Amino acid sequence: MRALIVDDSRAMRRIVGRILGDAGFEVLEAGDGQEALTVLEGLDGAPDLACVDWNMPVMDGLTFITEVRKRPEWRSITLMMVTTESESDRIVRALAAGAHEYLIKPFTGEAMLEKLDLLGLLRTSTEV
Amino acid sequence: MTISSAPDQALVLAAIEQVWGSMLFATAEAWPSDRAADFETGVQAQIELRGDWNGRLVLTCDSDVATQIAGAMLGLGPEEELPELDIHDAVGEVLNVVGGSVKGALVGTWALGLPGVSETTGAPARDESFVVSWGDAPVYVQIVPDAA
Amino acid sequence: MTISPQAFTFVRELVRAESAIVLDTGKEYLVESRLVPLARAAGHPDVDAYVADLSKRRTPAALKLVVEALTTNETSWFRDSDPFTALRQAVFPALAKTRTNRTLRIWAGACSSGQEPYSIIMTALDTPELAGWKIELVATDLSEEMLTRSRKGEYSQLEVNRGLPATTLVRHFERAGLNWRINQSIRERVDFRQLNLTRPFPPMGRFDVVFLRNVLIYFDLPTKRDVLKRVRQVMVPDGHLFLGAAEMTMGVDDAWERVPAGRSSVYRIREEQRTCVL
Repeated sequence: MRALIVDDSRAMRRIVGRILGDAGFEVLEAGDGQEALTVLEGLDGAPDLACVDWNMPVMDGLTFITEVRKRPEWRSITLMMVTTESESDRIVRALAAGAHEYLIKPFTGEAMLEKLDLLGLLRTSTEV
Repeated sequence: MTISSAPDQALVLAAIEQVWGSMLFATAEAWPSDRAADFETGVQAQIELRGDWNGRLVLTCDSDVATQIAGAMLGLGPEEELPELDIHDAVGEVLNVVGGSVKGALVGTWALGLPGVSETTGAPARDESFVVSWGDAPVYVQIVPDAA
Repeated sequence: MTISPQAFTFVRELVRAESAIVLDTGKEYLVESRLVPLARAAGHPDVDAYVADLSKRRTPAALKLVVEALTTNETSWFRDSDPFTALRQAVFPALAKTRTNRTLRIWAGACSSGQEPYSIIMTALDTPELAGWKIELVATDLSEEMLTRSRKGEYSQLEVNRGLPATTLVRHFERAGLNWRINQSIRERVDFRQLNLTRPFPPMGRFDVVFLRNVLIYFDLPTKRDVLKRVRQVMVPDGHLFLGAAEMTMGVDDAWERVPAGRSSVYRIREEQRTCVL
C-alpha cells in the first residue's frame, strides 16, 4: 500500500511517515497542496491513502482535498486530515469537502493506527 | 475547564502540558519566578492568532533546548544529529500544535497563521512572559497582542 | 528506530506469561511507543538497548513496569471495533425481533472512564431496528473516581482521537475548552453505579446484553468461575455476553457457549442450562 503525506512540517512528515512505514505503507511526501497534486499527477496509479495537513503555504489542505475529489482517477484515495484545526465546524467542512477521516494534532501513534483501522487500511489489529 | 474568549496564561499552559506529554514524552511545569532562567543564544517561534483578539503566541528557548525538543519529537537517540533547519521546523510545529489547541478551546471564530522560527539572542523579559520547564531548562511563552 | 525481533519476542513472552495478553506480530509499533518513555527514563538510547538490559538483569520491579505499560487500561471508543459491529448488525436486530416491550436492558460491567457504555449507546442510536426503543444501560466500575469521570463525560483531545470516527465526534460531542464533552442526550441514558464484581451483585434486574470485557483477565480461575456464574443469574435466558478478545468461558464456566456474531463472537447460556437459571 502507498500513502502520500502532505504537511509543511518536515518533522511532522517524518513522524507520520514512520507510523505509516511501520504499518506497511510505502510513503511519499509533499510540503503543500500544490506539490501534492504534482506528486499525484506523476504517479502510476493513485495511492491508497493521503494524510493531509490543513494550514500550509501555497495551497492549503482543504483546497487540496477539493481538487482531489474533482478527479475521477483519484476517487480511490482515502483522505485523512491530520491537523491542529480542531473546531467542530472545521471538521464538518473537511468531511463535506470529501475527507474520510480527521485526526487532530497532537495525536499518538496508536490513535493514528486506530483511524487506519476504522478506514479498513490496517492489516493487523492494534489493540492489546 | 474554563471557557475563554481570548488566550490567557492558564489556557496556553494547559495546551503546552498536553503537547509536551503527547508529542514529546515530557512534563511541563510552571517555572518558579525566583529561579534564574537565562540563556545566550536561543530559538524563537511565533504564530499569529486572529479573531476576537489579535496577536501572536511566542515561544523562546535556549538553542540546546530546541535541539532536545526536536529530538524528543522525532524519537531520536542522543547520538543522532539534526540540521538547524529541522530543529527550527520541529519547534515551529510544536508551537503550531499548541496554537491550534488554544484556538480550538476559544469561543468564536478564529484563524491561525503559519509558524515562523528564527534565532534570537538572550531570554525575553520575565515580566512580559511566563516560563515553563523543559526538563531542567526554561521555555518562555509570550501572549502578545497586536500594537493598538 | 523500529524494535528488533529479538526485543519484541522477549517483551511478548514476558507480557504473555504475566498477563495472559497476547501481543501479535504487527504490534511492534505499540510495544515501542509504550516502552520509549521507560527506556528514556532508564537512560537508554532506544528500546532495544533497554530490553537487552532488562533481559540480562530481569529485575522484577523493572519487568513489572514493562507489563504495566503494555496492559494499561487505555480505553478507546468502540474498542476492538468488531464487538460493536456485531452489536449493530447482529445482536441488536435479533433482540429487536423478540422484545415486544421495545425496551433493552444492558450492563457494562467494567466501564472504566466511560468510553464503553457511551459507545454502546451511540451504537444503539445507529441501529435502525432500535429507532424509538428505550435503552436502559447500567454501567458499573469498582472505582468511584472512574465513575465520577464517566458521569462528567468530558474527554481530552487525545482521548477523542482514539478510535472515534470524526462523524461521530461532531455529531455527539461539543467543545468544552481544550476538552470535548459528550452530549447530554447520551450522558443521561447511562446509569453509573459502583460495583465490585467479586462480591454478590446488588439487585439490578436482568439484562439482555452484558459487556464484561478485559476484566476477567485480572482474576484467578475460581474468581472467574464465580463471576461468570453470577453473571448468568442477572441475564435473561437468551441474553448475550461480550468478553474481551483474549478471554473465554471454556474450561471456566461451561454453561456458556461461544456463538459467532459478525467478525466477533458472543457468549450465550446453553439451551439446557437456561431453565436452571430462571
